[in-house]
Amino acid sequence: MRSERYIPYVLVLPSVVFLLFLFAWPLLEALLLSVRNSSGWTLEHFQRMAADLYFKDALKYTLLLTLTIVPLQVGLALGMALLLGSIAKGRDLFLYVWTIPLGISDLAAGIVWLAIFTERGYLNSFLQAVGVIQQPQLWLSYETPWMIFLAVVAAEVWRATAIVFVILVAGLQLIPKEYGEAAEVFGATPWQRFWKVTLPLLRPSLQVALILRTILALEVFAVVVALGGRNLPVLAGEAYYWYNAYQNPGVAAAYAVLILGISVAATLLYLRLMRTKQEAVG
Amino acid sequence: MKPGWLYMLLAGVLVVWVLLPIFLIAALAFSDRSSVFAWPKGLLPQQFSLETLAFFFGVEGVWKAIRNSLAVAGMTLVFSVLLGAPAGYALARYRFAGADAYRLLILMTRAFPLAILAIPLAVRFLQLGIYDTPFGVALVHTALALPFAVLVTSSLFLGIPKELEEAAWTLGCNRIQAFLRVVLPLALPGLAATAIFAFVISWNEVFAATLLTLRERTLPAFLLASLNDSPLPFRFAGGFFLIVPALVFIFLIRRYLFTLWGIANR
Amino acid sequence: MAGIRVENIEKSFGKFKALSGVSLEVRDQEFVVLLGPSGCGKTTLLRIIAGLEQADRGRVWIGEREVSGLPPRSRRVAMVFQNYAVFPHLTVFENIAFGLRMQKAPAEKIKAKVEQAATLMHIENLLGRYPAQLSGGQRQRVAVARALAVEPEVLLMDEPLSNLDALLRLEMRAELKRLLAESRTTTLYVTHDQVEAMSLADRIAVMNAGQIVQYDQPMKVYQEPANTFVGGFIGSPPMNFLRLPVEGQQARLASLVLALPSEVSGAEVLLGVRPEDFEVYTDQRPQSFPAEVLVVEPLGPHLLLTLRFGEQLLKATVPPDFAVRPGQTIWLKPQPGRLRWLEPTSGQALTAR
Repeated sequence: MRSERYIPYVLVLPSVVFLLFLFAWPLLEALLLSVRNSSGWTLEHFQRMAADLYFKDALKYTLLLTLTIVPLQVGLALGMALLLGSIAKGRDLFLYVWTIPLGISDLAAGIVWLAIFTERGYLNSFLQAVGVIQQPQLWLSYETPWMIFLAVVAAEVWRATAIVFVILVAGLQLIPKEYGEAAEVFGATPWQRFWKVTLPLLRPSLQVALILRTILALEVFAVVVALGGRNLPVLAGEAYYWYNAYQNPGVAAAYAVLILGISVAATLLYLRLMRTKQEAVG
Repeated sequence: MKPGWLYMLLAGVLVVWVLLPIFLIAALAFSDRSSVFAWPKGLLPQQFSLETLAFFFGVEGVWKAIRNSLAVAGMTLVFSVLLGAPAGYALARYRFAGADAYRLLILMTRAFPLAILAIPLAVRFLQLGIYDTPFGVALVHTALALPFAVLVTSSLFLGIPKELEEAAWTLGCNRIQAFLRVVLPLALPGLAATAIFAFVISWNEVFAATLLTLRERTLPAFLLASLNDSPLPFRFAGGFFLIVPALVFIFLIRRYLFTLWGIANR
Repeated sequence: MAGIRVENIEKSFGKFKALSGVSLEVRDQEFVVLLGPSGCGKTTLLRIIAGLEQADRGRVWIGEREVSGLPPRSRRVAMVFQNYAVFPHLTVFENIAFGLRMQKAPAEKIKAKVEQAATLMHIENLLGRYPAQLSGGQRQRVAVARALAVEPEVLLMDEPLSNLDALLRLEMRAELKRLLAESRTTTLYVTHDQVEAMSLADRIAVMNAGQIVQYDQPMKVYQEPANTFVGGFIGSPPMNFLRLPVEGQQARLASLVLALPSEVSGAEVLLGVRPEDFEVYTDQRPQSFPAEVLVVEPLGPHLLLTLRFGEQLLKATVPPDFAVRPGQTIWLKPQPGRLRWLEPTSGQALTAR
């Protein structure tokens, strides 16, 4: 029975070893890859990255996409979570349907919205039917990056609001009903109850959702490729092109490190702005 | 309750918002070639046809990509459960020094972009000879799915009272017997959900799969690589086919939705 | 069947000392209750005997075998858990049969034993059901039947009745008493409910802060508490403790002079009297002392009075028809045979004679 002390370590060990080899080690290696070449330490990769034609646009669009998508998703998900609480009948059905996009990949979502935004797609068909246009419009071309931007936002909001929704619903379930009822007894309006009771208590969940979604939005890749190819450059896409097309792991790693840097900065910013008890990022 | 119908209306609009795009891509996948290129399109396909799907499955490399995807997702499923469930059990049942550090490690893996893992691993896999193999891709996908597997199984085992195990011990079981006879049967549905979830993560992942393969593409990697020079019917059929298993799996594991994605205990 | 012996058990959880040197002996076929407030270490002691917890120091015997290093499965004990721990994925039959199956008993024997245990617990008509289809009381019965079916040398019960509602608890208490009197299984039973302890036990071991403070028959523990803790913990309302001045071998209670069983070193002594051990009068009587009535609480079978004597408060129970109101002065006559004298600083009882 004395040997019991070792049991948890034995159970945990395989996953630790695995994560060291497939997480900690590549992480270090990526950092090294970005600051080394065959002759030693260098900033060459970062310089090449910054000097590249696509770099500025990639950085700009990635940040703008994140700043657009994340607030939209959190707002929409919050609305959906509260709406779910006010629905009397068929809650399970709505819950199921609204969470269906959880299982849909970013690539598939991009292709789905391609069917809508493409030249002979549903959007143009609809616009023609209501008499706005006569001929198919080309939306997703290099001349209309903002239309691609819009399509990416639509696809991402469609696909990934569900994860925020689930996190917030889970958070709402943890808030005892008594708080809202107490506020009601003391004369708070529904609007006041939302701002003074629900929202502050939901803060840990909001924080988790914001961090998670921001990190994922900064990595946006397949949706963009499906909808606009490289006509809307983004950071993860550039990492991909530098690795695959240009065969240059150093610059690709530099892009990866840049994404990581922005992710970490954003996470720290959220933690600072919404100071609260540490909560599981799940 | 006056605003009741308004809430139902809003909820209905959201249902349409989620389902309509899926319906549209399905409509395209089940129509013939001319309908795919038709303009303007109606909401319903002009005629039901398997032509587009047949064309998709007829493209060289698609079946191989599907096989690879299944192999990668299958391996990811097995690896994540085999590595994750014991760790989840340890977190649920034992207090041990380092448990918090381990939790932190698990949570941290969620906070790093995939690019930072995939690029150096692609370089290293080349040297190790597992570049361009389903096994190599499955390793990276396991790194993605493992944190989920650990956290989910941990909450799963926490939900099974320790006293059940202890009762089994006092009734003559050793630890392994107690686990197999009492804990495992009770955890099985949740473990299955965890496994399915790992499968979906792998099935959907495209960035690492693209970077780590050349000929042995998974389906998403294959689709992505051929995206810009393939006809629309191929893309639509491929997109639809990617979604189908996800829909089935989400339905199967809907009971575990909140354990898997939320932070709630149950 | 066998007795239990534990020697000098020590157990700490981090910095918290759960048990500090506990020794206890339970005779063969005896029913012993471990009684104490939550956190006193009673459940830890039970779990150490079951082998579910490892003691830091000390040894455990069951019968003639030392079991200190053995895992639970080799100790030939059975345990009934507070939350029953009935296996939800098995039928009632399979739950009761679980231990026998682990012993690889033949099928006929299993069937016979399960039916016997089920009949004993009056659940023979529930054998095909799953625990989810049972009430709390029925699950409790399954848990006890499961423990009895393996015919353990020792039966360990951890607050088995605490999850039942009040009425059911009363019923199960009587039934457990009947059952264990029949089966004569050596039983160690943990509870924080003093009434349960009094009603069930052959002997009660009262625990406090990781130690056994008194180990005796229920009436002895009730009437002759070893210290102020036991007197205060057992009995509702608890025993009164009056601080009295000492003159030689005597203590003074107002005009009363009471003899002490032994010499006292300090200037004061504590007199322990149970609330029902006063004779109460509205006029002055010999051998009595006055007290002012503060509160009168009619409780049905009797009135509970809260009284003030000097600066000290005390409780007394009187018959329900006793006419009294707050503010009135009444006279209390303590019954001589029921007095308990204690040392005020340590709280320990003075050893008589």
